[in-house]
Amino acid sequence: MTAVDTGQPPVATPTSWTARLRDRISHIVPPGQALPDRQPAYMSSWIYVFGVLTLAALFVVIATGALLALGGVTWWHVSSLGRFVNSLHLWSVELFFAFMVVHLWGMFWMAAWRGNRALTWMTGVVAFLGSIGTAFTGYLSQANFASQWISTQAKDGLNSVGIGAFFNVLNPAQMLLWHVMLLPLVLGVIVVLHVVLVRRHGIVPPVDAHEETAS
Amino acid sequence: MMTSIAPRRATRAARDGTPDSHGFATRPYDLVKEFVVALIVVTLLTVGLAAAFSSPDEKAVTMRDWASAAPNDVVATAAGELAGTTKSAGFGPPYNTAANGGSLGPLKLQKWAGVTIPLDSAQDLVLTPLAGVTDNSKLTDALAAWQSAAADQQTQWATDYSDALAKAPDGDPAGVATGDYGPVPAIAAGFLTFAQTGGLEGALTSSGNFYGGDQTKSLLLLADGAYLEDQARARNLGGDQWGMTNETGNYPGQPWMWLYTFWYQVPPFSTSDNADALVWGLMMLLTLGLVLVPFIPGLRSIPRWIPVHRLIWRDYYREHPRR
Amino acid sequence: MVLIADGAGRYISSGVIQISVTNLAIIVLMILVFVLAVVLPFPGRHHDDSSDRDS
Repeated sequence: MTAVDTGQPPVATPTSWTARLRDRISHIVPPGQALPDRQPAYMSSWIYVFGVLTLAALFVVIATGALLALGGVTWWHVSSLGRFVNSLHLWSVELFFAFMVVHLWGMFWMAAWRGNRALTWMTGVVAFLGSIGTAFTGYLSQANFASQWISTQAKDGLNSVGIGAFFNVLNPAQMLLWHVMLLPLVLGVIVVLHVVLVRRHGIVPPVDAHEETAS
Repeated sequence: MMTSIAPRRATRAARDGTPDSHGFATRPYDLVKEFVVALIVVTLLTVGLAAAFSSPDEKAVTMRDWASAAPNDVVATAAGELAGTTKSAGFGPPYNTAANGGSLGPLKLQKWAGVTIPLDSAQDLVLTPLAGVTDNSKLTDALAAWQSAAADQQTQWATDYSDALAKAPDGDPAGVATGDYGPVPAIAAGFLTFAQTGGLEGALTSSGNFYGGDQTKSLLLLADGAYLEDQARARNLGGDQWGMTNETGNYPGQPWMWLYTFWYQVPPFSTSDNADALVWGLMMLLTLGLVLVPFIPGLRSIPRWIPVHRLIWRDYYREHPRR
Repeated sequence: MVLIADGAGRYISSGVIQISVTNLAIIVLMILVFVLAVVLPFPGRHHDDSSDRDS
């Protein structure tokens, strides 16, 4: 049997790279499960909205960061508009962290790693750590008193374990590039992975729940 | 058409007994609408908070600020750099080999990482910047006298002057006891004058490089003095003031750093010279624990023992009493 | 408990603990939000079906 233009996905093991990729993607998140319009009935708590709130806050963080980038490093020190954009960036970050931590608390008390969801939990924790690192480089990129103090303090901690040898917190040009390019890229990939895993496994059933045999 | 995937996935319980979420009764739920509403809510909250509270921005300390606010500290720091007694001069890797730095038991990570940002504190932070000053003949003569002296003699002069400054009232150079300090007082005084003119930053950061993006030298010099730390402590930003979580003024800081900064407040870390490495190592261990919660017996059972989940899924449990 | 009040922000100090009033307010607010999220009833739960499967 060959997959000749039937308009259907091939049933036999596909040989083209494209077919293999498609097969792989549909294996990770089967069709219809990426954006289902129904959810399990046990999903009935406000605690569930904090994942989406965190994701929404991340969008606002990236958008306000992009706005801040328009004027360059020193813009927000001299322009009231720039200062306001900086304030938007700061408060979106505060909201992002607050929502993320409430989400983390919720997922812990739900033991949301059950049912082969350990990798979802782990990518979530790594995203939290990546966010702390990204925020840290943001503090170093402010070009003000706080940057001076935080960088000269942080160099002691990071040098004590050898990290400072290649990650120089006293070099704001390096820190700015990590903040606006490298770390957001890595964080973005981890977040996408996290969300894909959530969609792949569906939301975790209640502790001690038994499958409903509704046949 | 049937795919080979759906039936295989449909009703399979995981090894820990958790059933597949797709085997439960469902109800309509609009994920995209939820996201859009969340985006609007977060945007409005952000705009509201930004408009109400703005954001902190205390100006960076300039060398001129430092020189006019704490001139004696600048002189003492310059003398200390020449004597090799400042923090940067005795730091070890990645700046120099004066010390081994932090270690985690047998792991001398700081030493192994090597000297990747070589720095000679006396030369790079004081003498080289001053070499460009041409309108101060006293300074030029002093620098020439310093260069022609033997290394032992240089250290002796600078150490004696540093000690004398420390004993003088308020560290005032004018009140220093008489002694043989060679050209060191003139160099330190010239350094203060140079800082007061505002030329020091440029000489430190962009010597040999038109684009001065790297502030390593100027920040190390500033941190070698006492002024920066005094300013930070006055704002509750010191390491032993939970400073990592704090921000200037009444702005929110980084409360998520509470555990990292907590260890610095208590023994044995608060009294250890190796606290930086120890706290870092401990936090990495605890972080690994958080990552691996699903696999750690006991830890992963806490949500079962303290049943907050009975509240979260109370609707489900009401309709599905325990069998 | 000592309330340190100066130009550099309001802080609360008790033994080894020192925290800015702002950070404390944020943490209290987060805990409050968590408790409310767990306790408040979630809207839109109507038992319109019980057999449909998400596939």
